[in-house]
Amino acid sequence: MCGIIGYTGGRSHAPDDGDVLDVLMTGLSGLEYRGYDSAGVALADSSLSVHKRQGEVSALEDALPDGSVGGRAGIGHTRWSTHGPPSDANAHPHTDCTGTVAVVHNGIIENYQVLREELETAGHTFESETDTEVIPHLIEDALEAGADRESAFRRAVNQLEGSYAVAAVFCESETVYAARHESPLVLGIGEDGHYLASDVPAFIEYTDRVIYLDDGEFATVSPSGVVVTDDEGTVVETSIETIEWDPEDAGKSGYDHYMLKEIYEQPQAIRKCLRERVNEMEGTITVDDLADLESSGPVQFVACGTSYHAALYGAQLLRERGIPAQCFLASEYDVDSIPVSEETLVVGVTQSGETADTMSALRGANRVGATTVALTNVVGSSAARECDHAMYIRAGPEIGVAATKTFASQQVALALFSSVISGECSQAFVEALRDLPDQVQSVLDNSTAREVAQTYEDADAYFFIGRGYNAPVALEGALKMKEITYKHAEGFAAGELKHGPLALVTDRTPVFAMVSDDGTAAKTLGNVKEVEARDAPVVAVTDSRETVDQYADFVLEVPETHPVLMPILANIQLQLVSYWIANRLGRSIDKPRNLAKSVTVE
Amino acid sequence: MSTRGLTAVVLAAGEGTRLRPLTSNRPKPMLPAATKPILEHVFDQLIDSGITDITVVVGYGRNRVQAHFGPTYRNVPLTYVTQEKQLGTGHALLAAESSVDGPFLVLYGDQLVGSRLIDDVSNTHDASDDAVATLGLVQRSDVAGYGGVILDDETGRVSDLVEDPTDDRNYRLNAGVYIVEQDIFDAIRAAKPRTGEHSFVDGISELLKSGRDVRGVVSDGVWVDATYPWDLLDVSFELFEEGIVDGERSSAISESATIHDSAVIREPVVIDDDCEIGPGAVVGPSVCLGANVTVGSGAVVERSVIDADTRIGQNGTVIGCVTGVGVTVGPGTTIPGGPGDVRVGDRVFEDEDLGALLADRVHDQGGNTYVPGAIVGSDTVVEAGATVRGTVSEGTEVRS
Repeated sequence: MCGIIGYTGGRSHAPDDGDVLDVLMTGLSGLEYRGYDSAGVALADSSLSVHKRQGEVSALEDALPDGSVGGRAGIGHTRWSTHGPPSDANAHPHTDCTGTVAVVHNGIIENYQVLREELETAGHTFESETDTEVIPHLIEDALEAGADRESAFRRAVNQLEGSYAVAAVFCESETVYAARHESPLVLGIGEDGHYLASDVPAFIEYTDRVIYLDDGEFATVSPSGVVVTDDEGTVVETSIETIEWDPEDAGKSGYDHYMLKEIYEQPQAIRKCLRERVNEMEGTITVDDLADLESSGPVQFVACGTSYHAALYGAQLLRERGIPAQCFLASEYDVDSIPVSEETLVVGVTQSGETADTMSALRGANRVGATTVALTNVVGSSAARECDHAMYIRAGPEIGVAATKTFASQQVALALFSSVISGECSQAFVEALRDLPDQVQSVLDNSTAREVAQTYEDADAYFFIGRGYNAPVALEGALKMKEITYKHAEGFAAGELKHGPLALVTDRTPVFAMVSDDGTAAKTLGNVKEVEARDAPVVAVTDSRETVDQYADFVLEVPETHPVLMPILANIQLQLVSYWIANRLGRSIDKPRNLAKSVTVE
Repeated sequence: MSTRGLTAVVLAAGEGTRLRPLTSNRPKPMLPAATKPILEHVFDQLIDSGITDITVVVGYGRNRVQAHFGPTYRNVPLTYVTQEKQLGTGHALLAAESSVDGPFLVLYGDQLVGSRLIDDVSNTHDASDDAVATLGLVQRSDVAGYGGVILDDETGRVSDLVEDPTDDRNYRLNAGVYIVEQDIFDAIRAAKPRTGEHSFVDGISELLKSGRDVRGVVSDGVWVDATYPWDLLDVSFELFEEGIVDGERSSAISESATIHDSAVIREPVVIDDDCEIGPGAVVGPSVCLGANVTVGSGAVVERSVIDADTRIGQNGTVIGCVTGVGVTVGPGTTIPGGPGDVRVGDRVFEDEDLGALLADRVHDQGGNTYVPGAIVGSDTVVEAGATVRGTVSEGTEVRS
């Protein structure tokens, strides 16, 4: 998983020295959330100038020569390693033997070894261990065989198997050539030039008018305009869409980290998720995104990571309402070994809408004729486009790698989804949903999570337990702790503790217990007593202080709400605890080591 | 435009203790004027007057400011500077020292000023070669409680600054809009702190004392300030009158609000996103409903500023009321409005036009009556059937 950017000037605007580089570097900063173990740019003029570096985009910036790097068109790339470790050589762009063409690529070329052997046998010299490098050499061959630039590019791409969004520039040309297959690519149409990128934030500073490419399409981006063609070269009619969200969401606005900013944005994110979907006067929940959805069969959720925890919650909600529902890790979902039929509703929960594991599961479900729904944050994402239906969580862009506000919005969206699918919706539930944004704000206003962090930052490990609706939150609390503090953390359904994990509990392993004042309280308290007897510190997250006060070393309170919504509030306390521990430990909170925001490899 | 290229420094770090208990979770600049924070109106006026660069000094409740506005407002970048301890307005300005160069505009995030006032100050400062500071002034019959400024009308020079003046000289009211040169930072440092706090106005006095040229301009631009909680009503109503907030039905009601066909809306009103107004309810005149407010069936709301996420139960009566966020007014509760005595600290303000003030997340269970002038602190629960009078502190339970 990587991010790519490309730019060429517009008809009325011949780029000055440095303009192209500025656009590329701005674009790479906007794409860093997609990966950041190396970055590079190539600018085309009478010759190609290629600069690349291992490390974050700032490392590339430092490595650029003094004075500007000129060029009339350019491409850039930020990389997250799949083939070959992060290094200067493995960073994109890659070039051919003659230095005529430079290529950036996001995705995986499955037949690259075969292609590479053929090319090496034919005398091509490779400089990296990447799969990508075969592309410029294939183009070189086609050029030598007499093809023009566009057909050489097309001929090379047609030999690739696997997934790719690819862009190329040639020396003595101000055109950028691009193609996509199962990796995201979007074109930007601006006043002062034309853009292409893996994602809109890369160029939103310059234009909000975009064209989404479909799988199998090619684009020729030149100063005179953008031409999109299909794999046979026939011109495809495209529509320009306007991005409605604000580029401002790319700044940290006074917070030390995007993660904290995004935690504090949750009341607003939830407001947007609920807008015009709940009606208290009528006592109804309606989701226009799902207006055409008819489903009476079983439901299967597929998701990864944090989204999987949200999906577990969604499946619970549906089962509670009498609908058979299961939840699968997308990477383990195989339509050949799991019963899926045309009656099945398969719901992919994916923030980015590009998660490769989830996309693969959804494509499998599509293949066997199931009805598919994407529950995603990104309009126009692959999941939204390839599924039969898309429900948007409307959380706005999330930059921190550790998902926070998008998890809350997924939970809220799934609560709405379960009401729509089951047709069950009580007045009390609708009212509780409308009270939710302020209750989230009240948790943020009053949380003492920072004190908890201060007390337990040195712990050996952290355990999280919850029962019923709070069990997925226990898993999510532990995942967040792992991701950003690099400390050992595990989440369990509270009852599972005594079946093994209790052996790990000591006085140096705080246990976070979600205790909801409902039918599960007595049993969960029993589990709390088990860990207390092993001298483990207990942090209770509860809507009923009096129930837990005598067992807990710390109480993190949440307001009373409908039992179904309690985990949304409880999770915010856990986000804050993880954030403040990571902050005290000086971790790279927005970009934890080894992780990337949107994982587009399987 | 003369404000071109100027940076505006907006001071928004103070709590505004006289507005307690509304400030228990957020600073005064984030309290509502109509349905938007006062600070948002300040930004609007700055941008309308051509400012393209804003630095905000934040401190108390800074998360609320940053989460609300984010990195830009109306495409103007916002730079946040944190004043860790609130040690006066001068101290707050020093926190912004590294983000400004050349002359810059200073104003308070909790006072609403019209763009004309900003333009007047800017033009006056431009017209003088020697001025190190120019103050925006307004003509008011009573300047008690504010800063009084003695201005020589012929030369346009300021000769004296007096906080809360008691003598009967011809004072103009200091509107809190300034353009200052870089000299202000040394002047603030040179002025002696009072009770450990560095005042920005003392910095201006210091400039005067050292014989520097300090100018003033009397403007008839909009200037409104809320000193006490009930002032939020007048501030909001003034926005209607000045046309800064349009209270006419077409534009005043958010598209995402739901209003029952049988509800009656009496202008001027502003109704923000996601509000729901039930059958037979009467809302207005002079009512501001923040986002996601619910007005139950048959409820009556008049002359009130109701902040976000508040819920007014069916057949409730709410007149002359200010609420914080997330307040519940239970079914059948009556806040009849009308003048009453209000206690703030040790002072009693007689016959103030305040039905009741309910701070953030007050939970009224219904069937209650409020004696005019009642103030209820945040998170307090009022049990059904009670009569509420006087001042109720936060987090308590009022029994019937």
